[in-house]
Amino acid sequence: MRRSGRCVSFATIVLVAVNVSACAVFATRETKLQTVKTVGIISAVGDEITFARGGLTGLDNGSQRFPIGSWGLDDLIVQKVTAALNGRFQVQPVSYARAAFAAIKDSPVAPVNLIRSDPFKKLVQTEVSPQGLDAYIVITKAKSTFGGGGRKLEGIGYLNYGTVLASYSQIHALYEIRVFDGKTFDVIEKMAAPPLDDVGAVRIAGPSRMIEESLSLGTGDPAQNEKLHAAIADLVARSLPSTLSDMHLADIR
Amino acid sequence: MLAPAVAMADPLVTLPAPPFELPVLPPVSGTWTVMVGIGGAYNPDFEGAKRSMLSPVPIFSIRRAGSTDQFRGPRDSASIALIDFGDLRAGPAGKFVSSRKANSYSELNGLGDVKTAVELGGFVEYYPVDWFRTRVELRQGFGGHHGAVADFSADFIVPVIERLTFSAGPRFTWESTQATSPYFGIDAVQAMAIGLPVFNAKGGAHSAGVGAQVSYRINPQWEVHSYVEYERLLGDAAKSPLVTVRGSPNQTTFGIGASYAFDVRIR
Repeated sequence: MRRSGRCVSFATIVLVAVNVSACAVFATRETKLQTVKTVGIISAVGDEITFARGGLTGLDNGSQRFPIGSWGLDDLIVQKVTAALNGRFQVQPVSYARAAFAAIKDSPVAPVNLIRSDPFKKLVQTEVSPQGLDAYIVITKAKSTFGGGGRKLEGIGYLNYGTVLASYSQIHALYEIRVFDGKTFDVIEKMAAPPLDDVGAVRIAGPSRMIEESLSLGTGDPAQNEKLHAAIADLVARSLPSTLSDMHLADIR
Repeated sequence: MLAPAVAMADPLVTLPAPPFELPVLPPVSGTWTVMVGIGGAYNPDFEGAKRSMLSPVPIFSIRRAGSTDQFRGPRDSASIALIDFGDLRAGPAGKFVSSRKANSYSELNGLGDVKTAVELGGFVEYYPVDWFRTRVELRQGFGGHHGAVADFSADFIVPVIERLTFSAGPRFTWESTQATSPYFGIDAVQAMAIGLPVFNAKGGAHSAGVGAQVSYRINPQWEVHSYVEYERLLGDAAKSPLVTVRGSPNQTTFGIGASYAFDVRIR
């Protein structure tokens, strides 16, 4: 009994010591954000839209990609984020190589992603100007599984999900936001945009909603589809405030 | 600190941010869906047994809000996909095999106990299309047995409606001699005690069968599922006197479960 009591005391001391030292070594996100005054915003989400089929499909369930750079989604994202953050931070315009940010992909080997440094870190150091701001907010494509299979959706897209009795059409805007320290280029905060309240029939780990099937690929070049453009832009605009709020960057809810 | 969560299951609680985060690990802040539940499995008393019994099965999972549970077969071992190409996934897998106590069942009186075994190895699964999965697991036993086990399965996954999914497919298991012998072999001393002939169980094809399951999401919170798995023992597992005299090569498991999902927001 006495021995077990001693062990408990020792374990408590060790836990407290670890906790205190960890707190000293790793400052919390909010502490780091408090020192940030000037920020630059980088968005590389809206270069293309993916049309995917899932669920009960034919043998060919490959997805198709179409350029939608003309929609100016990244400019819209920068505008919306700037508006949301302006009360708290001084947002300064930055120039960056959008294609380089859009080209970064996660490794399919999960431990590699954990071990290597953030793949966007070097780009923020080398492909963004001006340097020297307190922080850089980088918005890039995120991924999500859907249905029960292993395939993933990414970035901006349209999903047609087939079942025996029905089919569902859904658009998605999957993106994640990183906040880089402007001096060390370490990631202060990172979060993928969560689902909205009015989620679609198919569960997707990010902003998505049901949409009329008439907006599908059959109606011609997606870049010319103004209804689809408006629906995606609305999805992005509605999801940004809650995501920025979740990241403690803006209190706009 | 309490705030409503934007999520698909009912937000129940908001937790404060952790006091620190390790740079190498993904941040935990955000909304998570926790699933808890209980199920029951009516399965053979032991492998090769004629009688079955009902045992409780806890259900627990945690995932990012909005993400879907990937398809999982009732026979799948616990596993994590460290390599994920989307349609091709692979990673470590492990299974816990309960001990078999001779004095727990009259059919086993006289046989020695088989200790609890832990099987560790890996899995590879491949989805040529969303509605068809093939999976293989290769595991090495530690503890109760020291053999190798390979499980092969294929599942047709049919979403009837988005909330209702039916799946079914064939299964096959191969086991090495060291994995088969502790459970189906009978040595001279045991033969004297149990009144069955000596049997030297060797490895090889162990079982073949089929399985089916159905799952229904009642609403974002509640989900129910049910499954049936049938396997017929093959090779020396089927030839063992323990099975031919006192048991059955036909092994059927029925399972049913219900789970409740709720959201936790970590600030």
